[in-house]
Amino acid sequence: MYSKLKSRWADNEGDVALDAQRKREKEDRKRAKAEKHRQADEAAAAAAAQAAAAVEERKQQEQSHQELASRPSKRRKLSPGPAANRQDIAKETVPAKLLRFPGGQWKKCRSVEDYEKLNDIEEGAYGWVSRAKDTTTGKVVALKRLKMDNATDGVPVTGLREIQTLMYCSHPNIVALQEVVVGEDVSKIENIFLVLDFLEHDLKTLLEDMNEPFLTSEIKTLLLQLTSGVSYLHTNWILHRDLKSSNLLLNNRGVLKIADFGMARYFGDPPPKMTQLVVTLWYRAPELLLGAEKYGTAVDMWSIGCIFGELLTREPLLQGKNEVDELSKIFELCGIPTEVSWPGFKRLPNARSLRLPKNPISQGAVIRAKFPLLTTAGSALLVSMLELNPAKRPNAQEFLEHAFFKEDPKPKSTAMFPTFPSKAGQEKRRKRVTPNAPVRGKVPELKATDFSGIFSGREDEEKGGGFSLKLI
Amino acid sequence: MSHLTNPLATVGQLYQRDTLPEELQTSILYYTARLTQAAGILLRLPQDITAQANVLLFRYFLVDDIMAREFSDISAATLYLTAKISSSPRSLRSITNVYAYLLSPSSPLNTGPVANNPDTYYLSEASYIIFRNRLLNIEGQVLNALGFNTHVTLPYPLAITYLQTLGVFAGDSKEKGSKFAKRTIEYLNTALLSPQMLYLTHQPASLATAAIYLAAKEEGAKMPEVEWWEVFDCEREELGFLVVALGSFRALVEREEKRWEGRGMVTRRDVRDVMAKSNGNGQEEEETRMGRLLDEKIAA
Repeated sequence: MYSKLKSRWADNEGDVALDAQRKREKEDRKRAKAEKHRQADEAAAAAAAQAAAAVEERKQQEQSHQELASRPSKRRKLSPGPAANRQDIAKETVPAKLLRFPGGQWKKCRSVEDYEKLNDIEEGAYGWVSRAKDTTTGKVVALKRLKMDNATDGVPVTGLREIQTLMYCSHPNIVALQEVVVGEDVSKIENIFLVLDFLEHDLKTLLEDMNEPFLTSEIKTLLLQLTSGVSYLHTNWILHRDLKSSNLLLNNRGVLKIADFGMARYFGDPPPKMTQLVVTLWYRAPELLLGAEKYGTAVDMWSIGCIFGELLTREPLLQGKNEVDELSKIFELCGIPTEVSWPGFKRLPNARSLRLPKNPISQGAVIRAKFPLLTTAGSALLVSMLELNPAKRPNAQEFLEHAFFKEDPKPKSTAMFPTFPSKAGQEKRRKRVTPNAPVRGKVPELKATDFSGIFSGREDEEKGGGFSLKLI
Repeated sequence: MSHLTNPLATVGQLYQRDTLPEELQTSILYYTARLTQAAGILLRLPQDITAQANVLLFRYFLVDDIMAREFSDISAATLYLTAKISSSPRSLRSITNVYAYLLSPSSPLNTGPVANNPDTYYLSEASYIIFRNRLLNIEGQVLNALGFNTHVTLPYPLAITYLQTLGVFAGDSKEKGSKFAKRTIEYLNTALLSPQMLYLTHQPASLATAAIYLAAKEEGAKMPEVEWWEVFDCEREELGFLVVALGSFRALVEREEKRWEGRGMVTRRDVRDVMAKSNGNGQEEEETRMGRLLDEKIAA
């Protein structure tokens, strides 16, 4: 069937005349190819002989992959087709350089039995994490087991989204998903494990255990790494939607990686309707709390602002007890939104029921007072990250170019970072106290709330030891 | 970059499938893909999700034994899975209902006069639960076979970009242009059903170029006289292959319809029957019968 159809395509009349010549050419090519094959085989055999049996198989796979990548159109040339035609027609012209895209391949999952468990690390909202060793390569990895809570829906969609986004991402500041492995019994796929980079610390535990907070130079390095990872996500149309200190991992070489993509999803322009039930409460942006159905990258930037504050004080910045309390804590710190500072916020679903004080204080003043040791540029950056109006928050790129990172002290090189004893590597961890990311389901409505009392007692407050130099 | 590319089938994967005669594999692939497409329409899924489901379906077929599970079950499971991770998920109940309808004697996929008899596709609670559990099991199998890589890049957006580049929509040719574009999209949809598994052997850029080439010929559109496909990184050879594959699809469908006598869907039983007949071997038939009994037991 194939050969008949092929001749239909080659309807060029010149073909017939050139048939003999083409045949000759084809034979030449065939011979050359056989020779090439033989050489490649020899090389492969020599390489294979050196390696151990288990490693050998992997190596060959890699090699064949590399071969495909370097000569991606090789396979296509197997089909004897009108390639000769092309030579006839384009005899005078230089052959065009076409882009070839190596796309990778797919194959069955390996078994979790290929890994040897070393110790448990922690239980997160989406699954258990343990430290394990690849028995063939000896590499230490983190194995994250997906929770299969809603068994009536099959494999949970959060887990699938996490796998999909992580497989796509390749960035030094994003935890790499090496592969997905499954339990030994494949008649029922119930045990699914993500094989991830192992990093010694998460920022949350580290901050809790440190005697001294990070230096400003170290904070800058951490923030730059975090935001360049987020910038990569945003330019690739991914929202993380659960940035918080316990989802940021740090290794002993000072490299920070963003983890836990269970809430992540692709977005678009204009933004699609998405659920507001995202981001752990303490890191949740005001537009989400006010029930905005369309939101964008600014929600991640708000979370970065919260992490910035947390790095400075070693305490989560806005520890609300519930949605309403969180919102009032935000207003206390960042001021009250007005139609001027945030046009249209009154029309957000949950804003209608709010009663706000009449004469709001200026935004930023409280933040500057709370972080008196921050330079002018530093506090300007923090204030802009915690802008109530999402449109006013800088995006990831603007954040990275901010003057704060150019002034002294300069960001510390990751190689110069201090090391810390790793809890994940040795002993069982303390149970974490951050509330978990919201569970999918019904969005709770904010009840009519009176916020007018937030600042009522302000005059009676102690002003501290008179160190209000930064207060403008 | 993976917004532009797909993982492709390896030569090994393509040659491994020799357990069944080629023509039976052709039938299975075509009918199962068509079933997914029909279900996608009835479920009112956006076409990109149905298309992704069909690509994942073929990828699965290259890894697991094609006869290991009922074809329609795999179709339903991949469609459920693809919709689940997309922005328009569909409930298991909708999926099972649609598939019960499409597999019933009242199915619009059957050619010839069809009497719509709701009794034939009524799904009782008990059979719903059985169907659901089977789908959830297969979902896991599909994910396992794909190494959990569910990303599919589709050629549709590229095709539109290419048409814009060719100036198809420019000036006063808007109406002609949209007709041209429609035809291009139709070819891309057709390519999804091709048992040659074009989406597994060719990158989206080449698929888009081939669809444009065919649509241009059909619509009589004036194309540049140079080798314009090279601008879109498609080799002449590759283009030729795809054009022939798509051009011969009508004949293939007619042959399939004749072979299966207008049936809406082929099942494993149909395939086994044909195998047994062609073998003409009593012992073989006995084996098949036992296998079938076993399958029915598992399914129940």
